[in-house]
Amino acid sequence: MKTSQSVQVLGYLALLIVSALFMTPFVWLIRSSLMDLSQIFTMPPEWLPRPFQWGNFKKALTILPFGTYFLNTTIIVMGTLAGTVLTSTIAAFGFSRIQWKGRDLIFGILLSSMMLPAAVTLIPSFLGWQMLGFYDTYYPLIAPAFFGGGMFNIFLLRQFYLTIPRDFDEAAVVDGAGYFTIYFRIILPLSRSAVIVVALFTFLATWNDFMGPLIYLKSDSLFTLALGLQMFQGTYTAQWDLLMAASTAVVLPCVIVFLIGQRYFLEGITLTGLKG
Amino acid sequence: MMVRGTKTISMLLAATLLAATVAGCTRPAADPSPPSGGENGDQEPITLRMSVWGAPDELAAYKVAIDRFEEEFTHITVDLQHIATDYDTKLTTMVAGNDVPDIAMMESGTIAFPLAEEGKFHNLQEFLDEDPNLSIDDLVPNLLYSLEPGHVIGIAPGPESFGLFYNEAMFADAGVEPPPSKASEAWTWDEFVEVAKQMTIDNQGRNAADPGFDPKNIKQYGINFPTWWGGYSNFIYSNGGDFVSADGETFALNQPEAVEVFQNIADLINVHHVSPSPVQSKNIPATNVALQTKKVAMVIDGQWASTSLAQSDFDYNVGVLPVMKDPMTTIVCGMFSMFKSTKYPQESWELIKYLIDPESSIDMITAGTWMPSYKSWYTEPELLARWTENLASRPSGYKDAIVEVLLSNSHQTPTGYVKNFSKIMDVVSPALDKVWLGQQSAQEALDAIADKAQVQVQGRRDIQQ
Amino acid sequence: MRKGLFYGLLFTSPAILGFLLFTLGPMIASLVLSLTDYNVFKAQTSFVGLDNYVRLFGGEDELFYRSLGVTFYFVLLRVPAVILISFAVALLLNMNVRGKSIFRTIIYLPSIVPAVASAMIWMWLLNPDLGLVNSALSAVGLPTSNWLYAENSVVPSVVLTTLWGIGGTVIIFLAGLTGIPKQYYEAIDVDGGGWYSKLRHITIPMVTPTIFFNTIMTIIGSFQVFNEAYILTEGGPNNRSLFYVFYLWRTGFRDTEMGYASALAWVLFLIILFFTYLVFRSSKSWVYYEGGGRS
Repeated sequence: MKTSQSVQVLGYLALLIVSALFMTPFVWLIRSSLMDLSQIFTMPPEWLPRPFQWGNFKKALTILPFGTYFLNTTIIVMGTLAGTVLTSTIAAFGFSRIQWKGRDLIFGILLSSMMLPAAVTLIPSFLGWQMLGFYDTYYPLIAPAFFGGGMFNIFLLRQFYLTIPRDFDEAAVVDGAGYFTIYFRIILPLSRSAVIVVALFTFLATWNDFMGPLIYLKSDSLFTLALGLQMFQGTYTAQWDLLMAASTAVVLPCVIVFLIGQRYFLEGITLTGLKG
Repeated sequence: MMVRGTKTISMLLAATLLAATVAGCTRPAADPSPPSGGENGDQEPITLRMSVWGAPDELAAYKVAIDRFEEEFTHITVDLQHIATDYDTKLTTMVAGNDVPDIAMMESGTIAFPLAEEGKFHNLQEFLDEDPNLSIDDLVPNLLYSLEPGHVIGIAPGPESFGLFYNEAMFADAGVEPPPSKASEAWTWDEFVEVAKQMTIDNQGRNAADPGFDPKNIKQYGINFPTWWGGYSNFIYSNGGDFVSADGETFALNQPEAVEVFQNIADLINVHHVSPSPVQSKNIPATNVALQTKKVAMVIDGQWASTSLAQSDFDYNVGVLPVMKDPMTTIVCGMFSMFKSTKYPQESWELIKYLIDPESSIDMITAGTWMPSYKSWYTEPELLARWTENLASRPSGYKDAIVEVLLSNSHQTPTGYVKNFSKIMDVVSPALDKVWLGQQSAQEALDAIADKAQVQVQGRRDIQQ
Repeated sequence: MRKGLFYGLLFTSPAILGFLLFTLGPMIASLVLSLTDYNVFKAQTSFVGLDNYVRLFGGEDELFYRSLGVTFYFVLLRVPAVILISFAVALLLNMNVRGKSIFRTIIYLPSIVPAVASAMIWMWLLNPDLGLVNSALSAVGLPTSNWLYAENSVVPSVVLTTLWGIGGTVIIFLAGLTGIPKQYYEAIDVDGGGWYSKLRHITIPMVTPTIFFNTIMTIIGSFQVFNEAYILTEGGPNNRSLFYVFYLWRTGFRDTEMGYASALAWVLFLIILFFTYLVFRSSKSWVYYEGGGRS
């Protein structure tokens, strides 16, 4: 018992150190967002804005049509999130809990799509969407989410599905349940942590993606927050104070979503029913 | 929970996507239709598309120009597309998709010339020749980019040149004479090094001229020297050197004039210990921070540094660059180009003219980021006063050190006339890294890559070939 | 079994269709383009056969070999570092301590901070003469380094900067750890084993599926490292951080040689495929699925 207590104390200490290290960029971002240009880069660094430049936020948020961008981002994020959670959990089920010929081969082929650098598929993809008349719409950004939501997510879920004991399905099959019932009643609840992770990652990745909107959108009125953020950089100079304030405003919802989201996989342990 | 209908759509998608990609390979030439000329008769409402990059304040300046333009040409609407990031990537996909704007802001170092070489841009010389209100002589030197003599592919909204920025208090405290602002009084390289030594101080308070100076514990550097091509090009030109020979046939950075400059810069870092190690930091407001925090006494930087310096709370000033042989500054700038696919070349030309009019961008000019494009704004006292007097961004040395030099002793950026510039620099820059780090002498390093660089030399754009 | 095939295809159909619709076309297009002299700006594209590949392997393109070497070095350093450190951090975060959710969020924070902002911080921290890290090191008498600005230290330094972004990997480990039934640990308690035997006999075997996943993803991601070169180092000094995908991007977009860039991409594709395959093959002997293996 004693060793495990000292392990706990040591671990806690390590946790504090690691956290301090990982806090730095965020704290740096926040304090920069409240400073004037000259104080941001002062050496040695200062951590307290003097005076607090709340005006940075006001300026940054009025330069951008923040409301519109926020709404647009929300639409894309919601669409992507719904599509991804729905179809990736289903597809992962097919790749892990059902036996069928060619399953692993097809899985491998799909996975290989992640191995080709996106730089060379960018133009063909763009041309394809443009030809379909979907340039300057949200289709190229949202539609793929409804078709599996990306191999990263499917692979991740597959790994978690595979750890669930087989007896669970078999018991269900005896009860006369089909694959859909097993998916919905057994596998999905039992892999709740993983599903939350997929949802969180999808949310954050979509929220922060600017390359997709940059390539597929043309009209200002459709732009997203992440794309808007890029506008604070110039060729020769960047308006760092405003960039930092805008970044903070864009990042803050992510932090809140993450804080809330991760609570659910804390609960995940007790809900899985594996406890006793 | 698949929706039925989407499957049929998706089969269609698959087929078309494949077709699209195949079409991508065999696509015919992108709209080679020639300009229809300047018939201005019909007042049918039209829209001009223009793409730019830039920070919000630069964007605001464009909008001022556009508003004025739309007031005069009431039938024209300008659709400004702001591509804030990965501009070239975005523009490339737009070109691939035949969806280019009428006017685009372009950068000479990247895809402007490749596009021009494929005939994607109008020759603006033709418009300049016919325009009654604007001629080349009205513009400050080196604002035009040409594919070859007589074939102008872009006009810059304003020049950007280089200066020697310094912290006044540091010189006053040290009792050292600060950099001169007049080109006629410019420091020689040796004088410059001497001052840099006096302004470099170790943690015991000894300066770099002191025999007991400890280069391992430097508290304050004399100079921060830019090691990118824009920075050192000033001195190569000043020394009579160039990137390629006058006939465009030979790689010239291994010639004595250039090598001397490279070695001088490396010596600042490794022999005299008056300059910190080089870092890749083009976009970081290093200049104002370094000066304000007294980490560095002098910084060589583009005049655009004035903007952030003006917003910093200390007394700075600007002097003329040290001189190797002749006073010289390199002009770097972006450009506006007109795509050949535009349906409205004459209207697009009018818009370009509005964009380069200093009156439109006066806010950016007084803020320090830009400089005017019209010569009259440099030569006529009342116009000159509007952007150089009583402004935080224009310290007392500015007129002599920046304005004067720009008019009389400026050189075009190498990206504007050296063909295949970026490929040549892909060979040169790694070699120079070794020079800055003190691993090789400039002569050794450049001789070692001269053959490889020579392979990439394809001539000059500023001579008839 | 026929029923299995039907349902298998039915369940996986969204993913398969998505692949056929959105991914396969562009992939084939790039493969075809790798056999051409495709330049986006040129009106004419002609078929050049295997010329691009010959140019790659013919020894003419030194930067190809350099970027390959640099990238392998990066992958070699980064993959073990990411896996080990993420796992360790995940174990810490899995402890039953106060403020758990705050700690978890903190670890993930750097992954949310926009890349430009965090690149700024790194340049500022690692500046050899003016940076914070070197000032701190010399203040306590430790040797300083040129970090991103020296040939030998640039790749390790870049690896260091990417370690800040391990939040995602940590969270996935954490999700794996929370899935381990508590009664397994109780069994060890009964046997009188300490934290080490818990780790050795329960935790590690139980999270092998997650380790497997994270390893594959880290390999795929590390081979395609791009942003760090793009924003932080521009490939320097002396091309010592000229990562493969950065070189590829430069070739395709700046130099507008998209055909050649496509050939570069397919070579990398095969390399990544090979290493992923190796890990998959090996997984049979070390990845433990409670669901009864992969069969």
